[in-house]
Amino acid sequence: MDELALSVRNLSTVYDTGESVVHAVRDVSFDLRRTERLGVVGESGSGKSALALSILGLIEPPGRVVEGEIVLGGRDISKLSDRQLGAVRGKEIALVLQDPSSALDPVKTIGSQIVEALTVHEPDLRRAAARRRAAELLREVDISQAERRLDDYPHQYSGGMRQRVAIAIAIANNPRVLIADEPTTALDVTTQAQVLALLDRLVDEHRTAVILITHNLGIVSDFCDSVAVMYAGRFVETSGVDHIFVAPTHPYSEALLKCVPNPERLAEGPLPAISGFPPDLSQLPSGCSFAPRCPVGRDLPQCHEQAPVPHRVSGPAGEASVECHFAEQRIREVAV
Amino acid sequence: MSEPSAPVEPIAQQPERASQPILQAEGLSKVFEVRGGDRFGRKHPVTVLDDISLTVRRGESFGLVGESGCGKSTLARCLLRLLELSAGRVLFDGVDLTTLDRDELRALRRRMQFVFQDPFASLDPRMTAGAIVEEPLEIHEIGDQRERRQAALEMLADVGLTAEQARRRPHAFSGGQRQRIGIARAFVLRPEVVILDEPISALDVSVQAQVLNLLAKLQEQLGLTYVFISHDLAVAEYFCDRVAVLYLGQVMEVADRSALFSDPLHPYSVSLLSAVPVPLAGGRARRAERPQPIGEVGSVIERPPGCPFEPRCPVGRGRDICRAERPPITEPAAGHQVACHFPGEVSVHGARRNGAGTNAGDGDGTARPGHTETAAQ
Repeated sequence: MDELALSVRNLSTVYDTGESVVHAVRDVSFDLRRTERLGVVGESGSGKSALALSILGLIEPPGRVVEGEIVLGGRDISKLSDRQLGAVRGKEIALVLQDPSSALDPVKTIGSQIVEALTVHEPDLRRAAARRRAAELLREVDISQAERRLDDYPHQYSGGMRQRVAIAIAIANNPRVLIADEPTTALDVTTQAQVLALLDRLVDEHRTAVILITHNLGIVSDFCDSVAVMYAGRFVETSGVDHIFVAPTHPYSEALLKCVPNPERLAEGPLPAISGFPPDLSQLPSGCSFAPRCPVGRDLPQCHEQAPVPHRVSGPAGEASVECHFAEQRIREVAV
Repeated sequence: MSEPSAPVEPIAQQPERASQPILQAEGLSKVFEVRGGDRFGRKHPVTVLDDISLTVRRGESFGLVGESGCGKSTLARCLLRLLELSAGRVLFDGVDLTTLDRDELRALRRRMQFVFQDPFASLDPRMTAGAIVEEPLEIHEIGDQRERRQAALEMLADVGLTAEQARRRPHAFSGGQRQRIGIARAFVLRPEVVILDEPISALDVSVQAQVLNLLAKLQEQLGLTYVFISHDLAVAEYFCDRVAVLYLGQVMEVADRSALFSDPLHPYSVSLLSAVPVPLAGGRARRAERPQPIGEVGSVIERPPGCPFEPRCPVGRGRDICRAERPPITEPAAGHQVACHFPGEVSVHGARRNGAGTNAGDGDGTARPGHTETAAQ
């Protein structure tokens, strides 16, 4: 059907400190079509950011990708040298971070930073032409008076404008895949809406695929068309976006959704918080990693002993792949 | 002000709370001297809070919401006179705080406490949790050492921490647990008013729920009044009885929760509300129907002369009266105040929720549910 933009197979990443081995990403596989908007949700420490960095080849020691294929545009980039990867990053796949300030150099003008992003991958580009392209990019991310504002420094921009510049830099070379790690978390809601609208245009006009990493399920609903719920380094539930709100099948997905204050549920009593803590990724339980906190499996030997495999289930809002021993039973229960 | 006879529930349900003000701001303004702006680095005054009048009633949770730079945290500090006001006054239980000297203010501070956003920065890393919670009792010379220790342990138990944990230092705790310590420290004095400045924004979603539930439980047990500062409208809607919306240091709108969230009258409230993503199916379609926010959040340094929201306002942008005159505060419905020349001209219809009636306050559905903590720690 649709052309694949990215295909990740059996990706595993560990942080080996000598004293302990933290399994940050555990055997994750997924496909991303062109123009697809995949939301990756989970709590801090679930491995969301480690996944992003692994795909981009940006994991730093003591971390390393121990296994897996990352096929981007038909080529496995996980085996490339740093130098070869440098030519791919920023050109075919790009990253936008939560804090735009960290992506921008405070002592260089906005214009020179965009020009640099362009000429790194296009050394022959003439200065004047690069500057014209930079101004176009600023216009594309809705910065008014773009020509004049090229000569400003980052501190002269507001937080929302800096994030849009970071996006302009990320899309400068028309990447196939854009990974956005909590891109709106530091922004106010109205600014957040503007950044999401900008990402919309990017997908529509350039057929970019987006992986949006967030802890905010509202943003997933507002922007994404598919979703992966991450827990303890694994995708425990993947589906089309509506499924997760209509029939969250993994007990963790359901718990995550329920603990968000939702005015529609005001009358239903206190927020059902998730008990306990996320597991220590250096000492994972042998069965399901959610079992110690799970309202369904907490007391079941099967859940503590045997790691669940993905089950394909079909609910009222489409299909899902769920790593839970009770997936079939649960989808019948939650989908009433 | 007449008693609301309309179906505005929270007040009607709690008549004893309805009319007793505990904290009032009257014409409160705050001006900071800011250096820069011109090449000589001269100081010039910037008005960050501009003539704010508000009443917080005993026993309620009063929300202060708005985007960064709207002045909500500065206002909170002025309400406790942690910052000096530039104009206006603050009444706490009828006493004008601005007239008190240091000792009088200190004595009164026992009754007003503050919980900060960042549980990492606000706890002394060298002190144990127990000592942190004991310290306010020491400062206010309450009880002897044994009684203070006992009170601190009981308070820690109330927030879900054990005597064994009381001996640990902050670094040994998770973010949520640290915020519990911050809460215990504020509540151990049995204050009457607690200002909660973004108390959950630094926490993970699952932990946010635990802390919100804890705050609600303590409020019920201790009969506290909360001023709850939040940039997250969903949280404010869940938690607060009444909410004030601030923009560039001015009050745009004040109303009961149900009135504000189902029938906001100020265009800024409308655009703020419709920008909040809701975790329900169909978000893409909902978002496509919403009006796009216009432009950037303004700045108090270049505050427009009329309505501060005029440059971004879908209703008033370019209208002469909005550009020239700051709108007076009117009260179109009992308890619902708005500062707008054209209140109610845009609505959130369809912009916010899908189908599910905008009238979230149906009957007694809006009363914050009874709280017992469900989280097994």
